[in-house]
Amino acid sequence: MSTAATQANPSQTPVFPSFAEVYQGLAGQIGMLREMAPAPTKSDEQRLKGAVDTLIEETNADEAVWLESCIHCGQCTNACHYFQATGEAKYAPMRKMDLYRRVYQREISPMRWWHRLVSKPVKLSDFEEASELIYDSCSECGRCTMVCPMGIDTASLVHHMRSAMVAAELVPPELAALRMEQKNMGTVFGSSPDALKKMVDTIREQAGVEIPLDKDKADVMVLSSAVDLVANGNGLLATAKIMNHLGVDWTIRSDGFESANFGLLSGDMSLWKHQVDPIIEAAQKVGAKTLVIAECGHAYPALRWNPMLSSGELPFEMMYMSEFLGKQAKAGKLRLTPFDGKVTFHDPCKTGRRGGAFDEPRAVLAAMDADLVEMPANKEYNWCCGGGAGIFLLEDATRLRDESFKIKIREVNDTGAESVVVSCASCRLNFESGRQKNNWDKQVHSLVELVADHLIDDETATKGQARGAAA
Amino acid sequence: MSLLEFARGPAIHAALIIMVAGFALRLLGVLVLTRGADMSRPRDAFGNFKGYRTVFSRAWPAGEFTTTTRYQTVVAYVFHIALLLVIVGIVPHIEFIQSLTGLSWPAMPNFLGVALGTIALASLFALIFRRLAKPAIYNSTVGDYVAWVVVALPLLTGLMAFAHVGLRYETMLALHILSSALLFAYMPFSKLMHAFWFIFSRAQSGLAYAHKGVRI
Repeated sequence: MSTAATQANPSQTPVFPSFAEVYQGLAGQIGMLREMAPAPTKSDEQRLKGAVDTLIEETNADEAVWLESCIHCGQCTNACHYFQATGEAKYAPMRKMDLYRRVYQREISPMRWWHRLVSKPVKLSDFEEASELIYDSCSECGRCTMVCPMGIDTASLVHHMRSAMVAAELVPPELAALRMEQKNMGTVFGSSPDALKKMVDTIREQAGVEIPLDKDKADVMVLSSAVDLVANGNGLLATAKIMNHLGVDWTIRSDGFESANFGLLSGDMSLWKHQVDPIIEAAQKVGAKTLVIAECGHAYPALRWNPMLSSGELPFEMMYMSEFLGKQAKAGKLRLTPFDGKVTFHDPCKTGRRGGAFDEPRAVLAAMDADLVEMPANKEYNWCCGGGAGIFLLEDATRLRDESFKIKIREVNDTGAESVVVSCASCRLNFESGRQKNNWDKQVHSLVELVADHLIDDETATKGQARGAAA
Repeated sequence: MSLLEFARGPAIHAALIIMVAGFALRLLGVLVLTRGADMSRPRDAFGNFKGYRTVFSRAWPAGEFTTTTRYQTVVAYVFHIALLLVIVGIVPHIEFIQSLTGLSWPAMPNFLGVALGTIALASLFALIFRRLAKPAIYNSTVGDYVAWVVVALPLLTGLMAFAHVGLRYETMLALHILSSALLFAYMPFSKLMHAFWFIFSRAQSGLAYAHKGVRI
């Protein structure tokens, strides 16, 4: 906790556990996911056919051109944090599209007659072996695209492979378990509407902060996320404090509140849509002008950049929490106490390089006069923390995640900052894991919680405004 | 028919026909595929258009990657430029192009042609040495090595014919033309197609990221 927080609430004891404890609690729950993973239900032939058919269906000219373009120049290899961390050739980004290319060459390419003559048919075991490349060692962060002389978007090719892996029933156990939970019960780690209501009640009773749940009409509809509902109550508490402080007409809807989308993470396009539709419906029902996505990195592409959703035709704007806060800060509506000490900002891949929300979180830090020092590689060139695209949950990816996080440690240490601000629950969990495992002496803040801690006390603000009005 | 006559006649003509047909087959076969639509609202109205900048901007790696890409980029540029100048700049090549198209232009002095050809071949060796020295970085396949040999042969035989070393001049010249024919015929079916793909590939990614307000 920062000093400003203690000053702002001198007498208050924490309602919710610290994030360090949140991480430890969640780590235990994640450990149990493996046992809950569903077993394959289809025959091997059906699984293979499903995977190949999925790739055929999802391959358009864009994918074909990218698959055709690779010249093995090796530039992407050094750009990938998983290669950098291990030095192992198999983690080179170009390898992550090899199997996709084989399927493409045999099934779609104009040279398919030739490739069918000279190449071996693809087997289910090829997909099994590719799992490590498709899930464990690619966070779809897109850094390799920044260096590729052909500009190949490897991340999106890997994402198509994830869809094929869903059809092949080869999703890693942790993601498979959460995918099934979200598909069958609509929850993630049990984050049901009841859990939301309980959390809202707890926040009202113990922190004295009101959350307008299920309003019929509201200007701003805010999403929450499983991490906030089942572990880190501080996330939702901070969101509520800020919304109330800004005086916006807002609500959280129990018929559409979950940011996390295990359809997108596993590669299940139908679950992706199934999860997004109720949120869009709820936002339309309440007449929202703005939909604020919780600090849950992949929820941003799941909603804001959902290619299946004509968002230009929707009556509301979708924005990430950091964007919402940044816009408020730029408009001068967010008045914050100063942040002491040097700080650096980590751009989550999904909201940064693959989302474009660079300026807004920095505007928030500027609003608290923070001494922001950028990392050597920042914004579009930021190194992934190693935990994105669901990798934080994967036990098999532990070594890759831990080793690649050391790049992040080096980058942050280079800035000389005492703390690092993140704006994504996955990044934050991964940072917390890395911090604890490496006895790292940095503080890790969530942007939304930091803002809540630095809000200029309500009463003083109101009095100030009242005085201003009187004068 | 002598070997040279065969090389200058049916071999090179067949190779050129295969090349053009191959280019058409592979380009059209890919470009006629449907384009996936991204229906999400772009970050700003003209944002997508900015994506086309990537076609040009990606001609040189961003400063962020200088250390890891310098060697490959510089040597590759030297190779491409030297090779291109030799292809269109020396007397026998211009005469060949004129025989096909009727077009001609002034040639460069012979010594310059030899110098550029040597530079192109040397840079090609510089590239393969690095590829062999750093297997984990390049993940090379058979296709990578075959392409290298097919590109190196016309350069090597051309320089040898020009310098009158190795076999009899007519034989060296025939081998040079035959290896060039092999290169022409091989191009459309190999990674050498990147001569075309780079434009489409860069533009696609440029657009996809510009849609989100990201400049790559």
